[in-house]
Amino acid sequence: MKKQILILALLLPLLASCAEKQPEPYPYTPDQDRRLVVYTSHKEEVYTPIIREFEERTGIWVDVVSGGTNELLQRIQQEADAPKADVMFGGGVESLESYQDCFSPYICREAAGISEQFQSESGCWTPFSALPVVLVYNTKLVAPESLTSWKDLESPAFRGKIAFADPQISGSSYTALVTRIQTGGGMEDSLTRLCTALDGKQLDSSGAVLTAVADGSALVGITLEETALQHIAAGEDIALVYPSDGTSCVPDGSALVKGAPHGDNARLFLDFTVSTDVQSMVGQRFCRRTVRADIPADPSLPPLSTLNMVSYDVEWASQNRDRLLSEWSFLLGEVPS
Amino acid sequence: MTRPLSHSFRNRLLLSFLIASLAPMIICSTMLSQISRIQMTKQLDTDAQTQTAHLMTALDRISDALPGAARALEESRLLPRAFTSREDTQINTALFLATEGSRDLADYSLYDLRGSLRYSTGSVTAGTTLSTRWGVLFAAKNAGGQAVYQAPMDGGKTLLQGAALLKNPQGEPLGYLVMELSEENFQKLFAGKYGSSNEVLILNRYWHPVYASQSGMKEELADSLRGQLLRSGNPGAETEEYRLLIQEHPPTGLYLVLRQPQMFTQSTMKLLHAASFFCVLMGIVISAVLCLPLSRRISQPIGRLLKAFSRLEQDDLDVHVSRDGEDELGQLASGFNHMVLALKANRQELVENQRELNQAQVRMLQAQLNPHFLCNTLDTMKWISKINHVPQVALMSTNLADILRFCISAEEFVPLRREVEVLNRYVEIQKIRLSDQFSFLVSLPEKLETCMVPKMILQPIVENAILHGLEGISDSVIRVEAAQEGEDLLITVTDNGHGLPPDMIGHPYRRESAPTGHHLGLFNVDTILKKHYGERYGLYLDNNPAGSGARVRARLPLRRREEEEC
Repeated sequence: MKKQILILALLLPLLASCAEKQPEPYPYTPDQDRRLVVYTSHKEEVYTPIIREFEERTGIWVDVVSGGTNELLQRIQQEADAPKADVMFGGGVESLESYQDCFSPYICREAAGISEQFQSESGCWTPFSALPVVLVYNTKLVAPESLTSWKDLESPAFRGKIAFADPQISGSSYTALVTRIQTGGGMEDSLTRLCTALDGKQLDSSGAVLTAVADGSALVGITLEETALQHIAAGEDIALVYPSDGTSCVPDGSALVKGAPHGDNARLFLDFTVSTDVQSMVGQRFCRRTVRADIPADPSLPPLSTLNMVSYDVEWASQNRDRLLSEWSFLLGEVPS
Repeated sequence: MTRPLSHSFRNRLLLSFLIASLAPMIICSTMLSQISRIQMTKQLDTDAQTQTAHLMTALDRISDALPGAARALEESRLLPRAFTSREDTQINTALFLATEGSRDLADYSLYDLRGSLRYSTGSVTAGTTLSTRWGVLFAAKNAGGQAVYQAPMDGGKTLLQGAALLKNPQGEPLGYLVMELSEENFQKLFAGKYGSSNEVLILNRYWHPVYASQSGMKEELADSLRGQLLRSGNPGAETEEYRLLIQEHPPTGLYLVLRQPQMFTQSTMKLLHAASFFCVLMGIVISAVLCLPLSRRISQPIGRLLKAFSRLEQDDLDVHVSRDGEDELGQLASGFNHMVLALKANRQELVENQRELNQAQVRMLQAQLNPHFLCNTLDTMKWISKINHVPQVALMSTNLADILRFCISAEEFVPLRREVEVLNRYVEIQKIRLSDQFSFLVSLPEKLETCMVPKMILQPIVENAILHGLEGISDSVIRVEAAQEGEDLLITVTDNGHGLPPDMIGHPYRRESAPTGHHLGLFNVDTILKKHYGERYGLYLDNNPAGSGARVRARLPLRRREEEEC
């Protein structure tokens, strides 16, 4: 049988052999100078129109990698030696700020049109939209007058019935936490009061906050204006309140990755995100507030100037993140049940 | 019979059968599958080229229709009115006229410069607007009259939008002509242009999906193609299940992707391999089924022969090989049987001869025992007779002793001279016995003296002459003459006696006619000569032609060799 095996062994490669083609340069492959790699933590319905329009206007092919803010920022940090991303698109600016080693400062060409309060001092990031922290409540279960401020959350009626996402996971929750501290009463006191109001319970994601309020498993919730508006627009039984004792309006933004392989295209993209055309759409389609001063705000929303704004220190928020979060998890475990 | 398997005749036969049956089959199936693969690939390529050409022509309709309609509208005098006045049937008529022939392709709409819908060939809700700072109108505005095509992000059912800026003869912009293609439009446009098993995917300029003939394929395939294009520079024309043909349609900037299922998919190859494997298995089984009886038919007779040979080697001559069939193996078996029979006969003859020889030797030994004693006795007699002065007894006993010694000597052949000497001794004894009644003459030429003859062949002839021929005859003479006749030695013994009876005259004695008592000597001599030299030689008896008396002639070959050796 040895001979048979030999013959078979000789013939099998013939059977299996496919004509292997030499790879030719593919005619439709875009050149490197017509490319851009964008890491984005925005939702698909936000980034897709912007990126498609950017492609149509500039002829630049955009390769999108989407994911969570922290995940993508860590990835950029890991790739710091050989960056693959050109732009980080999305994420609160204090998150971007805390990874500022990974980014190159860039003052965009449209900077003049951007409101003073959303300008980056270092130029590390370019703002995209303004996102005030709001409180939401279920309109069927909560009377509008019972929830107007952070203080109202401490009412026994809401104890353990407040939807709040884990600030270690959710960037917006962290912003809300810092905002709460800024409303006064000192850091430890503020955190303890909030922990007690939460009764030690928090949710796994910011998206779950609105779901919990809408289905009545929580009475009230802490979230961002944009998220709340989207759910209200979807017809859920939710209303939002700007806390009378103070809210913040921290923008999310984009940043140019240090050593970006397509740096010029990345700058074009950053300029585009704050262009009038895009910023108009931010207000019209995404339930967000534009960061440009020269675009009229949505008349259905209260102007920022009428809201009680706390002074939100982005630098402090990003520098004290670890300390604050460890304090928070300690206090959360301490809550007497 | 335990041999290594590979050396067994049967296994080698089986192996040959297998090679003969499997090798061509495997080569054949390999070549066939390769050829069919190449042919099918060619066919697929041709199909793909043809279908792509048809589909490109279909796409050309899009890129021809919009600019055509735009030009037709621009030439219409009514156009400026379209963007200032309200609903007007004349303008609708102009729009329908301009889009005649391609309204099955798309819906056409007129938008004013602010992006508000004015007129449409389709059923659209009033108050529809398109942003002029975004999307297709923005692009059309910047294209300066050229038609642009985009896939809208929020176009509802619209998959592809084309737009062209309409201008008045002075070059001032008036509004936009927009064409919108829905999924149904694409299906109608491509219907019958590609094979039923193939799928069509339309990508925009940046390889985002626009339309797919199979809805599930749209996002998935487009994403993977785009990912591959951007990450490895090539979307890859072939997968295990599909082949892709991608072609750009420059007027619209769209890309056409034709997806064909592979003829030789993994499962087809598996099936092919399974079929080949089954054939190989069949080949093995058939080879074994055919080979085993045949090899048995060959190896069994050979095995029987081998067994017979080994019995033969052990001296078993009763061995017999049964033969079945008239083929070469049957002939071999019968040849073997014949050979064994011949060997057996030969062996029996040999045994017979040996027995005869042994008996003769025993007889000879017995014969040699007593004569020595007799010789000694005769010698004693000779001396006693000499002492007692009886000379005849002394002479007789001397002669007798010599004759006896000569008789019992070990040598079989003696020179003729010696034979004649012994003959003389005998004649001396007979003369004393018969009181000198006959004379004895020997004529022996000197050159024949050394001829070798069997001993004691002359004495019986002479004795016969004395005893039977000379009785009652005076002055009888016995002559012994030796002569050379050619290569033969001829010894003639003649007498002048009564002669031979007629029944004895003639050629040599035949065994059956040999007399038991009389002439036993002649018979013995003839037998000796014949045994030694062959049937040509022997005695010849007749009567003396020159008168009375008998004549006995002994013919034997003339030989001297042993004398020369001595």
